Amino acid sequence: MTWDQLRHFHRQPQVIGWWMQHLGPVLHWLAPQQRRIVLAGAAVLVAIARPTMDLRKAGTRFGFEPGWLEAALVVLLLAAWLWGWYRAAQRFRSLPALVQRHPLLCLHSGFWALLLVLWLARPGTPPVQGTLVGCAVAMPFLLWRLGYLLLAAQRGRLAGTSLRDHLIYLWPPWGGTDTPYGKGHDYLKSVQAHDAEALARSQLAGLKLFVLAAVCAIGKDLVEGLLFGEDNGIRRALGGVTPGIPMLQAQIEAGPGAHPVWMGWLALYGELFRLVLRMGANGHVIVGCLRLFGFHAFRNTYKPLLAESIVEFWNRYYFYFKELLVNTFFLPTFTRWFRRHPELRLCTAVFAAAFLGNLYYHAIKSVPLVRGDWAALAAMFHPRLTYCFLLAAGIWLSMRRQQRRPGQSAPRSLPRRALAIFGVWTFFAVIHVWHRGEASFGERIGFVTSLIGFG
Amino acid sequence: MNDSREHQRQALLGFLRSIQKAGRPVTDLTDSDSLVASGLIDSLAILQIVTWLETTCGIDFAVRGVAPEELATIGGILGVIDQESGRSPA
Repeated sequence: MTWDQLRHFHRQPQVIGWWMQHLGPVLHWLAPQQRRIVLAGAAVLVAIARPTMDLRKAGTRFGFEPGWLEAALVVLLLAAWLWGWYRAAQRFRSLPALVQRHPLLCLHSGFWALLLVLWLARPGTPPVQGTLVGCAVAMPFLLWRLGYLLLAAQRGRLAGTSLRDHLIYLWPPWGGTDTPYGKGHDYLKSVQAHDAEALARSQLAGLKLFVLAAVCAIGKDLVEGLLFGEDNGIRRALGGVTPGIPMLQAQIEAGPGAHPVWMGWLALYGELFRLVLRMGANGHVIVGCLRLFGFHAFRNTYKPLLAESIVEFWNRYYFYFKELLVNTFFLPTFTRWFRRHPELRLCTAVFAAAFLGNLYYHAIKSVPLVRGDWAALAAMFHPRLTYCFLLAAGIWLSMRRQQRRPGQSAPRSLPRRALAIFGVWTFFAVIHVWHRGEASFGERIGFVTSLIGFG
Repeated sequence: MNDSREHQRQALLGFLRSIQKAGRPVTDLTDSDSLVASGLIDSLAILQIVTWLETTCGIDFAVRGVAPEELATIGGILGVIDQESGRSPA
């Protein structure tokens, strides 16, 4: 067997044949219709378990002890809210013109109305406070998924679907974060396996992702253990060798001159590699599960460290988050604003997605926002403001460069490719200085300038 | 397939040829092949397709909305044109 055959074991006819032979009856029973029933049943369990867990976590952060009454009320209220929007989506063309034109604004306004009640009324009665806080912390998970439902309704793509078809991504049994891995019904339908052989291929591709997830997790532990000196199994197994480079945030907070410049550069690139490997390890498991369920979806992370442009890296690093920002912010802005000014049109759409959308996504799931603690919110978001601005500016410039490049241009030489890849690494490594942490703007600037010999 | 749809198909193929990457003949693709996955165009070209549909076919995406996956295949793009011109896909 060649390396290529081993790497693509999930595409080998013998492997597919073996899988079908051993799982044949199960694969035939798991026809798309049957799978949807199983997944919808699992989604109902998730609809109960997930908000209950969110409520418990919120109780610890907000200082209350949630009981079964609050949990039941949160589950029921969220189910009612979801049902209301599902019914609205089914009758989309009969909704008021404002909702038809701006479905996402109307959807999100419900969340903001709930926050207003929490900020202004500050309910003190435990069941009321617990229920409202429980709904507020659980809603962002559903907001983005309901967004996909409403966008599909706006395009008239809900005909012939039932609640069961939508439950499976609204409360996905394959887990995930607030970002909808697998997007909505439209995308899932386009990638679902229709016969036993396609299901076998999808499942084998899912198994491959589990292997890749394990490789990424080992790689991440290697970076954390060998480079940053974290005490983990891999470092112990390799005899505890490490140069003990302090983590990026620790170096920023220590101030310029506290560590040699080479340590700063190593931490900068090491942190980027660590983030990419962590994203791969987590995302591959979720998309692997999707594929086991017969949805042969794109990987969430696909070789971002080989990207030759900023926009390519952004597309490959966290695919489903990028898709969320594109569908929810970029395209609605691009199709509505400055249509006669192509340059301004692209710039506005990019900043709407990578700057505003990115900030908004993280803001609505933050605890200080639900509390109405503005000082804490500002402290939490001042570095991210810079990060999102630099990201948006980089993406915009990269898209402009790509658009101006002639379509039929010759491929780059190997040294030029290597230079382009290194440039992309450097851009993302540097902007990650503003990704998170407690350091001030000045400390971060001081760290970056110290890397090039100033300060 | 009626004449009008064939005419639209040829116009679309002509446009795709103008934005395609080197060495990938557009005529080799079927209506259901993914344009991005086949390497014919990059994901950024979706924006060029949106602009082309707005100017050539007069489609207002601000009203109907747009999903990148709808514009990912030749058949998908023709489907959007059909839907907006009030005809059912051939």
